[in-house]
Amino acid sequence: MTRERIQIFFLIAAAGGALGLPLVITSPTYLHILILLFFYAYLTTSWNLVGGFAGVLPLGHSTFVGIGAYTSTILSLQYGISPWIGMIIGGVLAAIAGVVIGMPTFKMRGAYFALATIAFAEGFRVMVENIDYLGPFFLNGPRGLQIPPLNVGLANFMFTGKSPYYYIILVMLAAVLILTYAISRSKLGYQLVAGGEEPEAAAALGINVARAKLIAMAMSSFLTALAGTFYARFTLFIHPKSAMSLDLSFEIAFIALIGGRGSIAGPVLGALLLRPVGDFSRIYFGDKLPGLHLIIFGVVLILVMIYQPRGLQEPLTRAYHRLLDRLSGKIEK
Amino acid sequence: MITILEDTINGILMGSIYGLMALGLTVIFGVLKVINFAHGSLLMVGMYVAYWAVQLTGLHPYLALILVVPVMYLFGYYLQDIVIKPIYKAEKQVREPITVIIVTTGVWYILDNLSLLVFTPQYRSLPDNPLRGKMIEIGSMLISVPKLWGAVTAVLTAAAIYWFLQKTRMGRAIRATSLDREAASLMGIRQYSIYNITFGIGTAAAGVAGVTIVPFFNVFPTVGVLFDIKCFIIVVLGGLGSIGGAILGGIIIGIIESVGPQFMAATWTEAIVYGLFLIFLFVRPSGLFGVKYDW
Repeated sequence: MTRERIQIFFLIAAAGGALGLPLVITSPTYLHILILLFFYAYLTTSWNLVGGFAGVLPLGHSTFVGIGAYTSTILSLQYGISPWIGMIIGGVLAAIAGVVIGMPTFKMRGAYFALATIAFAEGFRVMVENIDYLGPFFLNGPRGLQIPPLNVGLANFMFTGKSPYYYIILVMLAAVLILTYAISRSKLGYQLVAGGEEPEAAAALGINVARAKLIAMAMSSFLTALAGTFYARFTLFIHPKSAMSLDLSFEIAFIALIGGRGSIAGPVLGALLLRPVGDFSRIYFGDKLPGLHLIIFGVVLILVMIYQPRGLQEPLTRAYHRLLDRLSGKIEK
Repeated sequence: MITILEDTINGILMGSIYGLMALGLTVIFGVLKVINFAHGSLLMVGMYVAYWAVQLTGLHPYLALILVVPVMYLFGYYLQDIVIKPIYKAEKQVREPITVIIVTTGVWYILDNLSLLVFTPQYRSLPDNPLRGKMIEIGSMLISVPKLWGAVTAVLTAAAIYWFLQKTRMGRAIRATSLDREAASLMGIRQYSIYNITFGIGTAAAGVAGVTIVPFFNVFPTVGVLFDIKCFIIVVLGGLGSIGGAILGGIIIGIIESVGPQFMAATWTEAIVYGLFLIFLFVRPSGLFGVKYDW
């Protein structure tokens, strides 16, 4: 068997495994953990378009989660518009916000960019917390919005069990991974990487670095906002301190950095490794040792940055390629 | 009118304390060219050291400085030496390695949650210290005594650090490293030991800030989060790396926070502060007194 065949085989096995998991895992708690795992993998993969490929460090992506969550929730609660349509509208609004934020901030470098994205996100959160009515739209300030679990069905993005949410987020994750793969092989992908690593050299080669980054930012914020709608429909309650929190922004960036930003597998690997650590330490030690998982995150983050600055995906990818070599070699004999 | 004057004075006092909090951040940035995201946590550690020193001995809160300054200096020195230095060694060619930001964020998470484990989320305060709740009456104005002490300490600390950097041999070595680390190394200055010392000084400054807040503010594990973004804003306003700028930036924020509620809901002042910060980032990223924006 050739390497390609084995890879396709692995891919099909992984897809089949992911599709079949809800049949095996019937505990709602574990399914919930899995859904959030994929949710974070999705968010991080979306973040990676800017934070990974474009080589900057955005620390305010929860803004876009918030825009997506609020848009679709307000439209469905007050105007009866299907959350699926609200999802797209929220995405478009977030993309516009992303471009507005990106235009001035992409001129900054390093720490200034990170600080500016934090300031935008926190300023936005504070504003939402202070506004009860934005024109005709009811935001309910710091108290947030509750979504009554009525009109169950696909059209209303509302289900009684957890497995439909599982399949929705799985499809979203697969789509964003395919998109990331396509971008990484496209002209835009090469422009982003070049602009992220050597902006002057890239500009000298005629690449419009600013334009490439803005396109990436628009896509990233659009995709992130879609997850915001998912979050709202899944948790049925959104408020500024959850959907727009700095903690969420930081966790997205953490997962990407530990997994390996700028790679396709990195964000998913990061979520696979970190989310269960967080969830299980919360379940088993949450009452006695609160915050233990965050200490673990911090330690892992520092160790990864010192010893594997390109993230955990690098050694794992190497191991995977060795495995592929051995498998293809053995079978050919 | 008198209330606005009163608010302005108390805003200047509290703002000077904010400036003192941000002082360590700006000193560290000036030399290491990196924003220390763990700064709020260092402040929190300083507050706990001060709190326990006063709680266990019953002395005047400001006497805790004798303990806090050396403890925090050593803490910062070894934090940089053990945790952050490896990154600099790995990324020698990068002028402001973004990885250091990430590592300091890791330090922030570890410190905050360790203190949550050790001290529990309980709010602690020093209820019967000699400064708590004291006020001076000037006409019909009330001026907070612990904030006055804090503001004086802030100015003295800023002046002391300025003097140290300008007039001592070690200060000159630190400034040389800040200007050009390669050239400084060629002159025989040991770059990494300068980094350690600078980080120690910045952390000690955060400790001094902790001492000034403890008499009138609660201590709890996430207290740093309340202040660290404020500190980032202050150093950008004042100019990253500028000592006088940190105090002035702090005073600006302090005045907005204390006079603002006269004109709008108190929560909106926070939004104003973020807006001002963004305007500065776009229009004048070097801040009021910052070094030339060269990176």
